[in-house]
Amino acid sequence: MAIRDEDIVSIEAPPLNAMENLYIPEIVKGFGITLRHLATSWNKGKTTRALEYPEERRENIPVEKGGQYAPNFRGVHRLNRDAAGRVKCVACMMCPTICPANCIHITAADSPWDDREKYPKKFEIDELRCIFCGMCEEACPVDAIELTPEYDITGLSRQEMIFDKEKLLSIYDATIEKKPM
Amino acid sequence: MSEFLSSFLTGQLIVSVTVILVILHVNLIGVAYLILLERKLSAWIQDRVGPNRCGKWGLLQPLADGLKLLLKEDYKPKGADFFLFTLAPMLIIIPALIGWVVIPWGGVWDMPEITLPLVGTIAGGPVTVAGADVNVGVIFLIAVASLGVYGVTLGGWASNNKYSFFGGLRATAGMISYEIPLSASILAVLLLSGAVQPQRLIEQQVAGGWYVLSQPLAAILFFVCILAEANRAPFDNAEAEQELVGGYHTEYSSMRFGMFLLAEYAHLITSSAFLMLLFFGGYHLPLIPWLSPEATGIGAALLKVTVFFGKVLLTIAFMMLVRWTIPRVRWDQVMKLAWNALIPLSIALIVLTAVMVFMEWTAWWQMLAMNAVVLGVVFAIQPLLPKSDLQNRRVPMAGSRFSPLPGEVVRTGAMGAAKDESGVARGSRGVVSMS
Repeated sequence: MAIRDEDIVSIEAPPLNAMENLYIPEIVKGFGITLRHLATSWNKGKTTRALEYPEERRENIPVEKGGQYAPNFRGVHRLNRDAAGRVKCVACMMCPTICPANCIHITAADSPWDDREKYPKKFEIDELRCIFCGMCEEACPVDAIELTPEYDITGLSRQEMIFDKEKLLSIYDATIEKKPM
Repeated sequence: MSEFLSSFLTGQLIVSVTVILVILHVNLIGVAYLILLERKLSAWIQDRVGPNRCGKWGLLQPLADGLKLLLKEDYKPKGADFFLFTLAPMLIIIPALIGWVVIPWGGVWDMPEITLPLVGTIAGGPVTVAGADVNVGVIFLIAVASLGVYGVTLGGWASNNKYSFFGGLRATAGMISYEIPLSASILAVLLLSGAVQPQRLIEQQVAGGWYVLSQPLAAILFFVCILAEANRAPFDNAEAEQELVGGYHTEYSSMRFGMFLLAEYAHLITSSAFLMLLFFGGYHLPLIPWLSPEATGIGAALLKVTVFFGKVLLTIAFMMLVRWTIPRVRWDQVMKLAWNALIPLSIALIVLTAVMVFMEWTAWWQMLAMNAVVLGVVFAIQPLLPKSDLQNRRVPMAGSRFSPLPGEVVRTGAMGAAKDESGVARGSRGVVSMS
């Protein structure tokens, strides 16, 4: 939508006073700021904001200091298992419906078990399309799909980054200690 | 054979060749490490860590960068003038390197008589620890340093790229403008010293106080001008990446680009050494007897070289601090600064210095008083100077909503034109109040 003419406000820069007009005092003030940052952040000083990622990870530092809060973190998905080790999902299609990125693809089938009607024969999440909004997690009526604190997932091809049901269940096995259900 | 060799093999020649070899290699490696220093300093200023993956503290990073540049594809754009395209990196690196030859790194060394096999005895005596002891050293430096812009202009022209061309044009215009206050501030110093030989300049500063005390305004002018000449921030409009992609070296890749990068930092060393030579006493530091021109031992010469390098390094670090502190000024502001501020100020300085020299008031405190008076006058008359009422002028353009041609009505969007009684779009009148 184009910006309407009456919404346009032209703002003129405020006029400089006599000292500011000489530039030099203001420039010296600026040197003070940069030198202060230089003095406090060299050799990983106290103002350094950087995290040397592969060695230092957010999950290893306390939450108060900017660490990862694992219960709330939205990383890669997992498919939860129930007490019997079966997939919890009932293929109700809530998550693909709400997914804003259309990255969840479920093929439902008649359930082989008595406690539910359907189960997902195929359950695929395209992790490259996913925007990690967590809507699937909220929509799920049986808490079958969850987002885990894992964030450094890699792959060599696009095909590899489409996680199928076995992969998602194995993520559950790998992360159940880190984030209990 | 030995007569033939000893006929031209003097002590000065041996020392000069040695100095040239050492300075060339030290400075070329230094240039590579200046890039690392700049990246580290910028990282620390911006609260980052900086390169730290190649070796301890990233010390092998320059080698990795060099390897990458050497192995990259050497790309030539379609329609480029191949001869000039190849010539430009050479033309920019050579002037930056040959400026080092006249810098008197180590003062004078009283060389003892030495005997070499095949040659025989070489007479001792005072020799200059510099590439060449040129009588007109300062003028040589100005002449050589200004040649660097040919590389920038030709590189921009030969690339067959509009962005490169703009970068080259800007460099040319900047060079023409900033050469004037640069030369004028040097002239203010030369009027005081009465000599253009680098050695003599240092000797006079040792005797009568550094010229930064007698000519502080000229020192500031000179510093601003070498920043502009070396295409450093805040005057790096020739390669302003936000406007011109990469400026004059947009189309360069591989080691041709490496040459441009190398030349930028080599130019930094040359101009810093020049600044130290003219205003900060060269190798001299007060209260250290070995750093006076009278000390001519080999230890004194080596200490002088070390001190000179240290001063140059400090200046370069300061230039880097400037780069990461001050944002780039707009191109018309660069021109305005040169023609409205630096050139009148430098001409006033020349005239007043000439008067002071004529009256023989050349002690440093007298010159300092003169500079204070100039600064006071500038400060007093500066608010009285006529100013345009709009700092950022709007140029009327056909079809523009923000600055339409007089009388033109520009309609935008499905809402139709929102216009006032005069028929001119409302956003076009400069200031619109919030109410």
